[in-house]
Amino acid sequence: KKFVLLRHIFVGYSAVALNHIIDFKEKKQEIAKPVSPSELFPSLPIVQGTSKRLKVLTRLTLVVSDPSHCNLLRSTSTNIRLYDIIAVFPKTEKLFHIACTTLDVDLVCINVTEKLPFYFRRPPVNMAIDRGIYFELLYTPAIKDSTMRRYTISNAISLMQICKGKNIVISSAAERPLELRGPYDVANLGLLFGLSEGEAKAAVSTNCRATMLHGETRKSACGVVYTVKKLHKIEEEETVPACKKAKTQA
Amino acid sequence: MSAPLRRLQQAPRHLLVCEKGHARHERSRHAAHVRDHAYNCRVSVLIPECGVLPQVLKSAVADLGEYYVVRGLSVHQLVAHEFVESFVRKGSCYALAYNTRIDQDNTAALLPTGKLILSVDKDTYEELGLQGRPSRYSGKKPMRYIITIDLTDSSFHPDGKKHKRVLWALKEKKPLEFDFLLAWYNSGAEGSTLMSYFSKNQIQALKPKVTFSTLRDLQCPVLQSNELQGKPEESCSTEELFEWLGAVLNQVNLDNVSSSFLSTYCCPQPNTIVDQAFLCTITGFIIPEKIIQLLEQLCCYFGEPKLAQWLTLTVHGFADSPVSWRENEHGFHKGGENLYNFVIFRNLDYWLQMALGTNDDCPP
Repeated sequence: KKFVLLRHIFVGYSAVALNHIIDFKEKKQEIAKPVSPSELFPSLPIVQGTSKRLKVLTRLTLVVSDPSHCNLLRSTSTNIRLYDIIAVFPKTEKLFHIACTTLDVDLVCINVTEKLPFYFRRPPVNMAIDRGIYFELLYTPAIKDSTMRRYTISNAISLMQICKGKNIVISSAAERPLELRGPYDVANLGLLFGLSEGEAKAAVSTNCRATMLHGETRKSACGVVYTVKKLHKIEEEETVPACKKAKTQA
Repeated sequence: MSAPLRRLQQAPRHLLVCEKGHARHERSRHAAHVRDHAYNCRVSVLIPECGVLPQVLKSAVADLGEYYVVRGLSVHQLVAHEFVESFVRKGSCYALAYNTRIDQDNTAALLPTGKLILSVDKDTYEELGLQGRPSRYSGKKPMRYIITIDLTDSSFHPDGKKHKRVLWALKEKKPLEFDFLLAWYNSGAEGSTLMSYFSKNQIQALKPKVTFSTLRDLQCPVLQSNELQGKPEESCSTEELFEWLGAVLNQVNLDNVSSSFLSTYCCPQPNTIVDQAFLCTITGFIIPEKIIQLLEQLCCYFGEPKLAQWLTLTVHGFADSPVSWRENEHGFHKGGENLYNFVIFRNLDYWLQMALGTNDDCPP
């Protein structure tokens, strides 16, 4: 993990999110506390070419294939709130709809390793864009295997036709340093998916920053809802619209 | 489906402006163009049919002055009244933030006209509280803002509200600190006082790095000074020259050998093979006044009869500089090139080519 992080600074990234995947198909899994970046590096290294330090965030991906798996997101006693970014990987169309419209997440992962079992439809995608949720595409499977490359490109293009290139984040799922590619190369890959020049660059820069801010407001907004619950009901209704507004402006 | 395929065949937007003139003409704008391009990081001179650089040119290259690197300099020190009076008003002061990326981080630059340019991201702009305008290359939701402060403005005196506000914003509200590259040109007094002014910060004086090399058996395109577009079978066009020059300066092999996977580029026709060509590369923080002196010396090169038909002077700007020419905004999309190239002919005609990248305005 350390070597993959170190490679990021030489290739040109200034912020990295470490991912922890939870798959509900296996036996009941506990969500552990996120690995703190200070355990990997006593002081974060400086990105090559700038004088800033690398920013390391923690991220949780939930692979959901059943609506009951989403209950974990609503529960309040787990370590979920310690993660900076929460992503969900829906496996069925119904779950995709739920993820876009009601679930409290920052990213919705799009499957790139196999043919999509469902088609994207405009209403849930537009709702997700309005709520400030971003769709994530991975590029490392495309490096590893040519069949997955075909699925990556075809799934990405069908997503583009519905969302028109808005709210896309392209990320790697790199486990080894060799699977990493520079940010400008990844932006060029975005052109292959059907994004325009500006949208492709945004997919690796401004959209990622917006996701980080969305995660921050989600973390802090969660705290606000928590305390409001104890107050009088009328005040609760007044503050809830403000939370929604904070989400979309992130 | 065809739109992404069409986009793949197009390169990102780029601009190449070609101009023709005569160096000794009274209305020639070659010096003005050089002066307008404030921040230069690399100067390359290519002289075909030349094995050894003449002594005059060698001393001109060695006399490019020195520049200073200051680490951890706060921007409010550049706005301080003392600095403005001692350096900005007397002569041309150049400052550029170093080790920052224009598409990600905050950047600061001080132009010789006395304007301080701050290119900041959205969060910093909102925290800083100074008036600026959104960047032109930012899209629908501005993510980048440009703040311009005129330090030589008559209303910018130490007791004025403007000065107080700027100092407060840069000192207390959101202190900005960068590593700066500094240079000062004063046609009169000595220029070593920058060292003494910033002696409390870690200031270091550096001289530009110069390398010489001789290229053998080089294919050079044939050019005619009055034919910018080139005549088929007689001379090459400016675009062809520009590409060829880029290949030569990057040491790309022009043979188009079948075993080479790097490049299939060939020298444009018609071309001649030249026995030797002299290439001189200067890297550092080079100010336009010195480049004008070098240009003059290169024009005098043709004072004596020489084999060469033309020579070139290429100047590269910093990829992360917030301005390109004058105060035109410069951005980094996938490449941050902002460079210009002079081709000087035997009869002192010149071609000037100015090249810019995607997020840039047309040069004046």
